[in-house]
Amino acid sequence: MSAPALPRPLNPTLVAGLAIVGLFALAALAAPLIAPADPIYQDAAARLQAPSLAHPFGTDNFGRDILSRIIYGARVDLQMAVIGVFFPLVIGTVIGALAGFFGGLVDAVLMRLIDIILAFPFLVLMLSIIAILGPGLSSFYIAMALVGWVSYARLIRAQILVLKNADYAVAAVSLGFSRSRVLFRHLLPNSVAGSLVFCMSDAVLVLLSGAAISYLGLGVQPPTAEWGIMVAEGQAFLSQAWWITLFPGLSIVFLAFGFSMIGDALGEIMGVHE
Amino acid sequence: MSTPTPGAPLLSVRDLTVVVRGAQGQRALLSRVSLDLGKGEILGLVGESGSGKSLFCRSLVQLLPSRALAVTGGTAVMAGRDLLSLSEADMGALRGAKIGMIFQNPSSHLDPVMRVGDQIAEGLMFHRKLGRKAAKAEAIAIMTQVGFTDPARQFASYPHEFSGGMRQRAMIAVALACDPDILIADEPTTALDVTIQAQILKLLMDLRDQRGLSIILITHDLGVVAQTCDRIAVMRQGELVEQGPKRDLLARPQHPYTQALIASHPSMDEAAPTEPPAPPAPPRRPLMEIDDLHVRYPVSGGLFGRRRSFSAVAGVSLRIMPGETVGIVGESGSGKSTLARAMLGLAPISDGHVSFDGDSLRLKRDATLAKMRRQAAMVFQDPFNSLNARLTIGETLAEVLRVQGKVARAAIPARVEELLRLVELDPGLAGRRPRQLSGGQCQRAGIARALAVEPRLIVADECVAALDVTIQAQIVDLFRRLVATMDLTLVFIAHDLAIVRHLCERVVVMHHGRIVEEGACAEVFEHPREAYTAALIAAIPDIDPDRPLHAPPAGALTA
Repeated sequence: MSAPALPRPLNPTLVAGLAIVGLFALAALAAPLIAPADPIYQDAAARLQAPSLAHPFGTDNFGRDILSRIIYGARVDLQMAVIGVFFPLVIGTVIGALAGFFGGLVDAVLMRLIDIILAFPFLVLMLSIIAILGPGLSSFYIAMALVGWVSYARLIRAQILVLKNADYAVAAVSLGFSRSRVLFRHLLPNSVAGSLVFCMSDAVLVLLSGAAISYLGLGVQPPTAEWGIMVAEGQAFLSQAWWITLFPGLSIVFLAFGFSMIGDALGEIMGVHE
Repeated sequence: MSTPTPGAPLLSVRDLTVVVRGAQGQRALLSRVSLDLGKGEILGLVGESGSGKSLFCRSLVQLLPSRALAVTGGTAVMAGRDLLSLSEADMGALRGAKIGMIFQNPSSHLDPVMRVGDQIAEGLMFHRKLGRKAAKAEAIAIMTQVGFTDPARQFASYPHEFSGGMRQRAMIAVALACDPDILIADEPTTALDVTIQAQILKLLMDLRDQRGLSIILITHDLGVVAQTCDRIAVMRQGELVEQGPKRDLLARPQHPYTQALIASHPSMDEAAPTEPPAPPAPPRRPLMEIDDLHVRYPVSGGLFGRRRSFSAVAGVSLRIMPGETVGIVGESGSGKSTLARAMLGLAPISDGHVSFDGDSLRLKRDATLAKMRRQAAMVFQDPFNSLNARLTIGETLAEVLRVQGKVARAAIPARVEELLRLVELDPGLAGRRPRQLSGGQCQRAGIARALAVEPRLIVADECVAALDVTIQAQIVDLFRRLVATMDLTLVFIAHDLAIVRHLCERVVVMHHGRIVEEGACAEVFEHPREAYTAALIAAIPDIDPDRPLHAPPAGALTA
């Protein structure tokens, strides 16, 4: 498809969101260049130091530089957000499209499966799957893919159900197009806008649950720098050294904020919620 | 019909200007429009979509549809006050109380979860400070006046329990509740069937006579104006091009645009330019043969309810010969669209047979469908919704050509260009997407897509209903030329009888899923045999004001 670029005034929300996420992505890519210290180097002489010129965000109970740990942590957390959204999005889109398009038995079976998954609380199901697979990032991604696709499937299915009766879909059938052509070339491109918007807010949820799971000791293992672990580790020292918890916590909030701004702007541009 | 009282007009608009502020600066949507409305007068505001006629009325009550719009000049004086400079609070008191509004789509302007009677009483309690009991009594009185047959019971009904025509009556009742001086009716009958339209128009005229109400009637249908209005104002591209008493204006239009508008009105009066009947051809096999077709949809009666079904098409038999042009007319719900879809294998057949070129769709479904997909095509009602918004027109056409495989791949771009020329579209538009085109252009693209199949049969389902009158006339002309120059069989479905009369040789009248009458167009329209057909024809608003509208009594046809 050739998209003639329309001169359109830039959406300020989109620009701001992209700037925030882009900043974190840049930090993650250039971590070895910009981080002032090694994120796992323990300096016994500099424990629990408050923010200063030498350590802008202070140091933790092992004397590690918090700023460096946050910069390196961006690598892990961004990866979690992207992979944790990508697989559910793809799986959910395919399953939802098939259920909506074919209807009948296919639809009934897939929808009951979704009901079963939704019957469990999200985190409980995630934790059980990770507990079975063993702690670690790859278990987290697998659990996310197994559980997270249901919302995408329901979104796409609802869209396809509406669109398959639209005149252009009927027209496509009446012109002798094959089922897969009608579904993948005509219906799917017109139904993904809502999911793309949702996947931005979903990235926020993934980020938070990733942090929560690391916090519970089932995700990223120490001493790897990850914001969720950093929050967990700092908790014990909250009364003496607030900076250990505050800065990684703020990073999570900012990145989440960036994603949700992109989601909002996309929704506006694509006319999902007019 | 009463004549407008001479003297000072009730509402006097001078030099009303509305602009839209965009990225490229200001653009005028209404430029210096001046109009008067007398007491008890019905003023028809005519123009195509985008001409600014709705905007004009909305700016009178300060209900502009977007914040990018602003009134930048002019006055609208009513009872010594300039409406345009009223504060929001003063305007709030005036809206509804002095100026009532009704809209095209009554279902989207009535609150679906509020009883109809309460919606009428609400205005009475707010503006006229009536108590609950008094408001209810008054609301029932108003409902009686607008033609509810059992207002005491219908007071407690919800909007979805009513038909479109009754909902429009409810809207009118809501608007009348506060006894306004002016009623603004924005395309009040466009979404309604022709017989219901006639009833609503009759009601508006009665209300004018009884209450001395002044009405601004916005419409694109010159027939409606000719039948109901005292004066006509024609708008185009934000400007008032012409206004005057209706007889003068219709008989002697001054502005070329008004002349074009009148010329493109498909009046029933004008004899259809049908060619002399073709010499009797040797008996041929019908291209499409429908035999006692039933299409039923299940209506679920709840978990334990009995399974019932609704017959959209109930026993239709029809033969269509190659080269014929057949019109199918009927009101909404008559089953004409379902019939069209069933003909092309797009709706399930419950009973009966559909045969295409001798092959039955029920006996040899796959083979017949395969054949049909390569020899028949459909044109749809909504020009935007029938094209994939993500593909350019060129891509849409090229895809059809590729899938059908009748044209060599290398020749596809040339064929796309040829198709666009065939439907009189500039081939330069091939790179545009549907949203960058007008409704008429989109419909042409939809026809080009149908022609890409090189069909023997085209089924056009209400394909001009969503278009402006002048565009309608162009599309109908296009069809006529295509049928004349190509070996095409056309099934043209419409609720507009006048258009069918212009285009088709044979007409089929449907009602409640059955064919009530069929025959040569000229004959059916001149001498309808069935009362239903006669009522349909009589309800069409003629552009000649001296051929009065004949409104069938409410409920007579829907029984």
